[in-house]
Formats: sequence, structure tokens, C-alpha cells
Amino acid sequence: MNDKILNDKSTWDWQTPEKQIPVKEWEDEFNWVQEPCASPDGESIAAIVNVDDAEFSVCKNGETWEETFEKAWALKFGPDGRLAALTASDEEWTVCVDGECWEGRFDYAWDLKFSPDGSFISAAIQQDSEYGMSVNDTTWETLYKNISGTLLGPLGNSAAVVQVDHMDQADIEAFAAGLFCVAVNGELQSERYVNIESICFDSTEEKTAFSIRRSRLDYSIATNSGPWKSNFQFAWEPCFINHGASIIAPVRQNGKWHLFKDDSDFWNRPFEQLWKPTVHDSTGKIAAVVSETFGRWGICENNTLLNFQCNTMISELFYSDNAELLIALFKDNDLWDLAVIRNGNVTPWGLKADKLWAPVISADTKIAATRMEKNNRYYLVVNGKVYQNDFDMMFEPAISPGSDKILLKAIKNGIYYRQTLSLDKVL
Amino acid sequence: MHSFIQFITGPMVWISFGICFIGIVFRLLQIFRLTREKENFMFTFLSVKFSLRSILVWLVPFLPVSTRKSPVFYAVSYIFHILLFLTPLFLLSHVILIEENFNLSWWTVSDWLADIFTVAVICALIFFAIRRRMVPEVKFLTGLSDYVFIILVALPFISGFIAYHQFFAYQWMVIIHVISGELMLILIPFTRFFHMILAPLTRAYTASEFGGVRHSKDW
Amino acid sequence: MQDVKTNKKVIDEGVEAGLAKLTPEKIASVINQVLEKETGARFKAYVQTCMRCGLCSDACSVFLSNDRAPQYSPAAKVKQTILEMINKKGRVSREFLSDAVRIAHTECNVCKRCSMYCPFGIDIAYMMLTVRRIIHKLEITPLYIQDTVNSHAATGNQMWVKQDEWIDTLQWQEEDAREEFEDLRIPLDKDGSDIMYSVIAPEPKFQAGLIYQMATIMHAANVNWTMPSTPGWDNSNMAMYTGDFETSGRIARIHYEAAANLHVKKIVMGECGHAFRSVYDVGNRWVGWTAPPIELIHAIDFYHFLLTTGRIKVKEKYKKSVTLHDPCNISRGRGLHHKAREIVNILCENFIEMTPNKEHNYCCGAGGGVINCGPPWKGTRMVNNKEKSRQLKRTGAQVLIAPCHNCHSGLEDIVEHYELGMEIKFFGDIIFEVMEKTIFEEGN
Repeated sequence: MNDKILNDKSTWDWQTPEKQIPVKEWEDEFNWVQEPCASPDGESIAAIVNVDDAEFSVCKNGETWEETFEKAWALKFGPDGRLAALTASDEEWTVCVDGECWEGRFDYAWDLKFSPDGSFISAAIQQDSEYGMSVNDTTWETLYKNISGTLLGPLGNSAAVVQVDHMDQADIEAFAAGLFCVAVNGELQSERYVNIESICFDSTEEKTAFSIRRSRLDYSIATNSGPWKSNFQFAWEPCFINHGASIIAPVRQNGKWHLFKDDSDFWNRPFEQLWKPTVHDSTGKIAAVVSETFGRWGICENNTLLNFQCNTMISELFYSDNAELLIALFKDNDLWDLAVIRNGNVTPWGLKADKLWAPVISADTKIAATRMEKNNRYYLVVNGKVYQNDFDMMFEPAISPGSDKILLKAIKNGIYYRQTLSLDKVL
Repeated sequence: MHSFIQFITGPMVWISFGICFIGIVFRLLQIFRLTREKENFMFTFLSVKFSLRSILVWLVPFLPVSTRKSPVFYAVSYIFHILLFLTPLFLLSHVILIEENFNLSWWTVSDWLADIFTVAVICALIFFAIRRRMVPEVKFLTGLSDYVFIILVALPFISGFIAYHQFFAYQWMVIIHVISGELMLILIPFTRFFHMILAPLTRAYTASEFGGVRHSKDW
Repeated sequence: MQDVKTNKKVIDEGVEAGLAKLTPEKIASVINQVLEKETGARFKAYVQTCMRCGLCSDACSVFLSNDRAPQYSPAAKVKQTILEMINKKGRVSREFLSDAVRIAHTECNVCKRCSMYCPFGIDIAYMMLTVRRIIHKLEITPLYIQDTVNSHAATGNQMWVKQDEWIDTLQWQEEDAREEFEDLRIPLDKDGSDIMYSVIAPEPKFQAGLIYQMATIMHAANVNWTMPSTPGWDNSNMAMYTGDFETSGRIARIHYEAAANLHVKKIVMGECGHAFRSVYDVGNRWVGWTAPPIELIHAIDFYHFLLTTGRIKVKEKYKKSVTLHDPCNISRGRGLHHKAREIVNILCENFIEMTPNKEHNYCCGAGGGVINCGPPWKGTRMVNNKEKSRQLKRTGAQVLIAPCHNCHSGLEDIVEHYELGMEIKFFGDIIFEVMEKTIFEEGN
């Protein structure tokens, strides 16, 4: 498949030191240009543009899509380099990919998602006041009263919380009886609950797990084959572990948070807060954001507290593909920073950024690269080192397959730059 | 009888002060422990600066708006609370007792002034009692215990006054005076008298939230 | 409308249905569980410090509105609810609970004014919220506010606004607001914006024009802003007022995570008071954030910035006489009354001060979730707001500025009920009317 090739970074141009695409001049051509986005390989930059009164199109590298729309939004490149947007024509919404619109037309479409390799694109849709999802232009056969918490798995399965019955205005009895189920690919997969949150798939996407509210005060965890027996005061997002055989989830008991596994205490220690569990299944590593004392945030990995604390928040926590690195995006004293954790040793980068994004990591985990904003200027950051050149705006960088080059994608003075920087130049 | 009087003016004084002091310490530790255990977040917001600011403001008569809304009550209450401590602390006969036992002494108020103080305290208590009967919103809140508190405070002052002037039943008045005074001390940690310790704490937390978090005044 | 003079007992179906299901054992166990497990030294200290002096009475506009009837004083509300529950060890009747719901949910705005009048600073609002927590756990919360909380739990917003309706409304307002500037945008999910703007659900539901106005202001001020298309766009939180702290905490999480996902520096929120309280120092604390993890700016603060830095210029001052209602949750709750006055003076020619004012202002009478208890309680609410109506009337102003949604709705009811003939406006309404519709350029 074409997109598989595009996904392969070895086919990208890592030789040309710099390519430029002037974007400022688009503003002369169109009434106005919206915020641009850049393709993963950096070869393309695109934006929604206004071509006439209430007439929009997408401009990619100076070329506009043939079709124009009454409305367009959510323009983004997928991991495979395809460019998609939600568009409306004749008051009907659809998904448009590289200028080609889906055949499916809806009263509304939103929540545009790509699967991790880009081969699946999904949107939440509404047709005649009924709700569902559409994946690669195939819409769920059954639609529901409402939809939330959509999920698109790497294998292309789609899941969401759906409202299965109508509820009259202010009907608290009907609400208490349970109106919500989990639907996977449009088919109901769970009992009814008062609330459902945070659906996740196992790796086969045959199983789902999610947090539930059974009654006003009783929360728990459930899967497509049924709920846990215990009730908790609250529960956050569950995760599958052991290749789908077990589930872990943060649950609240006696005012404290615990990590539970298959309905029994797993880490056997209480926290003021415990959330964002993250799992690397093949190595069995489990980490979570925790707070041991009020207002102090830390990380617990495999039931060991790491030597790290911050006082504002930890917004993201995730493993590199091989689990050698654990990355935490955090805020301390109201400024953003990033911590790289290897074998339990935490190295904060000390960036003190105003805005900071999660890094990309090389296959050998030797390099982590990201972008930050500080004093209204954007910078490339590699392994904690800030690259000297500043920009007006920057997109997610990429690292070459040989881990020797960084692809920088940024805009300065109305020109889009694609630069391949050798690592020694940056570090 | 003599040994009884010796007991209540001797060991019982020690015991009363001991219970009062140990009780206060115990209760404070209990509060601290319970807060650590259940509402640890409160320490995060507690601010010395804003606590002291507010407590100072509330010590200045008629600075807080609330005190201006009920000027008579505040005036009486203010004087009452000062005299409640001032009178026993600087009373000549109390200081003499302490001097005899510990060879410690300090300034005292003259007897006629002490008389005025005592009468003022008793009048304030009568005022409080009448207010509890007459002001509807206060009457609604008042229970038997509120009158008991008034009587408990009044007893040592009334009995002391009568004893000093030896109006009647001198010995009995001394006994009532000593016992009621000791009772008050003993009750401080375990009854609403404890507001003398708690009030600065509740005020401190409210002041910290108002000042430190919400950037506004609490008076 | 309810005939307030007959003083008939208000029937709330949610409360009645809940009460019917309760057994004495259930009542006692829930009350004792909350008192023993969920309260600590603070609660005990408040109970033991109160000397029943009644000085809190004059703080309470409900008390003043009811001709100083003693049962409406703040301490009396404690006595009639939580104290009785403590004294009886939770063995209270359904009738008692029915009264407790009325008192805690409709006769107290949890405005904290009484904390400023109590010599000991006792937080009576906290005591009333503890009563509401018990009510929540007994499932006897008034119907309409419970429905609002249900909406929060299911949709992340308080008015059952579906996600497509939300986005559609923004796009519709964006299109309409191009009347003002042809290239105006309401940027959705714009990653890395400086500001995420969040509102409360009544805006898209009933008052979409306010989003139009804000979009115009943002555009003219040349602000790099965005609004989320995802849940988290609604900053309101009625769950904190019903004692559903779990839902309340989750709402705060969703709100801040929406902002973190968009990598914004700040959240600016619309003119709402209770929502500010919920994201500023309630919901965030439940999940463990001592303060907003992403800087949170109330609209007053934001307007003050725009007007004092020249990002928004006033073409011609507003002519009508105006007075200002200080919403509890941003004056007593954040000290924004000084900035609010500076804004009024920048915008308006004729400002009449209301008394009492600033931290000492009376609640609008709708706050604390009281108006959200809905139509059954409107009649008694109007009675309880008599003092507020007197205060408003004394100003003689033509226009009443109320920078809070809850206040707005409550004050509209008061103005109508007491025939005050005042026009009620948000700051945004006035700014939109008097601003120069030109785009600010840095350095000019």
C-alpha cells in the first residue's frame, strides 16, 4: 500500500539540507489562510483557505484541492502522510482525504481520527439525530441517541459510549436506571450503566475495558464480558495487561486511590491520586502518575516510586516502543519540562518552557526530540539541548532511521522550512 | 472542712491547671493529627501572613464590618473578654497567693478597680443572658447549655465579689469561688469554652483561604 | 408561578421520590458515614467553636429578606440540619430530611458572606455543602439540579449539549460574526494557541450571541486563541453544589486536560462565577491540584488586560447609568472587584456604586445552585431575594452589570418579579457595544 511506503522513514529525503516553501504569499492568493499543518515527512505544508464568500478549500504546497466547501475544519496529516479534513457541501458533512471525499454524507461529522499507522480514518457522525461512527467511509449499521468517548483501534475497530434509549427532559429515574452502553463497530457490547468512561481495547481489539458507574455512588470497571464485582468510590481509565488476560485500573477506596488488577489490590498502597496508567505489554512494565501528598506529583513504576516530584501537573506519561524509555511531560512551578526515565533513573531536561510537546523517540531510544515555545519563540529540543535557531512556529520533528539526523519543520517570516540537521550540529 | 479547703486551694489548683493545660495540648494534638489524616490539604493553604493579618484586624474594635453592625454587643463582648482575663490575673489577693507559694509577684489592680471589673463582667453576663432571651435570631439558637455557660462564668465572679466584701456566708462563698473557678479551668478543653483556643485557628484557616487563595478580605 | 404568600410546601418530585425509598437504617448509615469518614477536625472545630451568638444573621440576605425570621440565619440553618443530625446520631425522619433539603439547597447560596461576619470565621457554607453531600448520598437532591449533574456526568457539560451541537453552534457563530470582520474565526482545537477559551453550556444552548461577541473581541484584540471541539469546553460544575464531588472532580480533570492537550498557556473563561469557583479552587482540589494547573483567567481579568493595554479601544463611552453587581465567586472568591470597577470606569460614563459592595455584596440569590433547583423553587427564591431587590432599587441605575451567568439569570427574575425596570448586561455586551472594531497590531 502506498501509505505503508510513506510510513517508512527510510524512503524520506534525509539528504537535502533545506527545502523552503513560502506560505505568506498564500495570503495574497486567498481571502484568508488558516493555521497550517505539516506532513510527517515534512515535504508538504497545508492549510484551509478561504477562496470566496463562504467557500473554502485546502491548499497544499500552494496547490488547492479541486473541490471547494461551504465549511472545512480539523485539517490534519495522518501518520501515513494523507491529508484529511471534515468538510461540508450542500449542508452535508463528510470526510475528505487528499481532496477525495467519502461517499458517506452526514448531518454532521466531527472527531476526526487516524489509526497509529494511518491506515484507518474515523469520524463521529450524526444522521437524522442519530449517532455513530464511520471508519474508512463505512458507517455503523446501527446508530444511537448520542455518542461520546470514541476510540479507533490500530486494527480499525471503532468503539464508543452510546446512549441506547431516549430520555425525557429531566428524567432522573431513567438516567439512574442506566442509558449507556459500549458499542464496538456499531454493535452493543456491554450491559447498560449509569455512566461509562475511558474505553480501551486489548491488542486483538476483541476485548474492551472501561470504567463504569453502576448507581449514583457505585463505580467499577467492566469489560465486554461483564463488570468487576467490587464497587468503588470512583474509577479512572483501565488498561489491558498480560496480552489482554488482565486489566489494571486506578480505583478509589476510603478516599484514597489504589491500583487494582482484576478486581483486587495490585500495588497495595494508597495514593492521594493515581491516574494515567501506562503499560508496555511485552515487557510487563506498568507506570502511572501518582500523588503521595496533596499537591505533589510523582511517578510510580512497577510499584516503585521514582525519584521525581513536581508541583503543578504531569500531563503525559508513555513508554518508548521498546519500553527502554519512560517519558513524562510535566509542569513544575508553572513551567513545562520533560523527564526522560531510563532504568528508573529520572533525567529532567530543565527546559522551563511556556509550551511543550511530547517528544518523538528514535528506534534505538538514544534520541528524543521535540519542540517548545519560550518567550513566544519556538525551538527544537533534542536530548534536552535547545537548538539555537528560533522560529515563529514549529511542527513535530522526526528522527532518521539511522538516528543520525533530525528533521526540523518550522515557519519563520512566512517561509516554511524543512531542514535535515545532522545530530552533531544540534547536540 | 479545713482539710477540704486545703485540698481545693492546694492540690486541686494544681490538678485544675494541669487538666486545663494537658487537655488543651491533647486537644490540639488531636486536631493536628486528624487534619493530617483526613484534610491534609489544609496545611497547603494555611498562610501565616494572612492568618495574622486577619486576626489583627479582628482585634481592632469596629474595624470589621460585622462589629459595626452590632456595636453594642461587640463593645460589651470586647470589654467582657478582656476583663475575664484581666481581673483574675491582676487581682491583689490572687497575686498574694502566688507570691506566698512561689515567691513570684506582679502588678495588681487596686481593689476598687477590681470591684468595677468584677461588676462589669457580671453585668456583661447579664447582658448576654438578656440578649439570648430578647433577640429572636439569638433566642432561636440558644439552648440550655448556653445559660449554663453563662452561670459557670458568673459563679467565680459573683462568689468572689461576695466573699471579698464578706456580705454573707464567707466561707461558703470562698469554697464556691474556688471550686467554680477550678471547674471552669477543667472544662476549658472539653466544652465550648475551647473556642478561646479554636477561634484563632478557624479564623486563621478562613483568613488563609480568603487572603491567600481568593485574594480578598475576610472582615 | 408559585403563590409565595400562601407559604405552601414546595413539592419537588426528585426529593419526594428519593425520600419514599429511604429507610431509617439507610438514613442513619449514610449520615454517620459522611460525618465519621468524610469530615475531619475542621468540621468538629466549627461545631465546637460556634457560640450561638447570631452575628452571622446580618450577613445573610435570605435572613434579611424574610424580615429577620430567626430560622433563616446561617447558624440556624446549621442548627436545623447538621447539628440535629449529629445530636440524633443520624436517626432523623424523612420530614426532617425534606426540610434539610429545602434549607441546604434553596435557602443558602453557599456565598460565604457569613464567614466574614462570624467573629471566628466559621465556614457555614462548608457546613451546608456537607448537608448537601449527605443529601446526594441519600439520593434526595432536588430534581432539576440533579438532572444538570447527570448531564455533567454523561456529556461533560451541564445542558445535555451534544458534541455536534456544540461545534455546529461555534461554526454558526463564526459565520455570523463575519458581519464584524470578514476573516473572523473561532479556531477549533488549534494546537499551541496561547489561550483556550471556555464557556458554560447555557451559552451554546441559549445565548450563542455571547460567543459571537467574544469572538469579535478576540479577533479585534488579535489574540491567538482556540476553543476545544472536545468535552472540556464547558467549565461549569453543578456537581460541586450537590455534593457529587466525584463528578465534580472529573469535570475539572476533563477541563484542564482539554487545555493541556491543546498546549495552551492559559485558559480564559467567560463571565461566570460558579464555574470560576469550580475550576479555581474546588474541582481541581478534589483531584489533587492545589491550584489551577494551567493558568485560569476570568473574563473580568482578561477584559481588564485588553482594555488597559489598548488591545481593545473604546470608541465612545456607554451613556446610560450603570451599577455593578459583584458576583460572590469572583469578588469574595477572587478579589476581582477592583479590576471590575476599573473596567466600568473605562467603559461607562455614569457609574453608580451599589451598597453593600465588593466582598460585602449580597449574593444574586441564584448562586450556589439555588436557581438550578428549578421552577418548583422559584416562588420561594423570589421571597428570599427581597433584600437583593431593595439593594438594586436603591441604586436607581438604568443598567445592571452582572459579570456572571448565574447572577444574570437570578437578577433577571428579581428585576421582573419586583418590577425594577433595569436592563441587565454582561461586560461583554457593553464592550461589544462601545469598542472600536479594528484589529490591534503589536507595536501600534
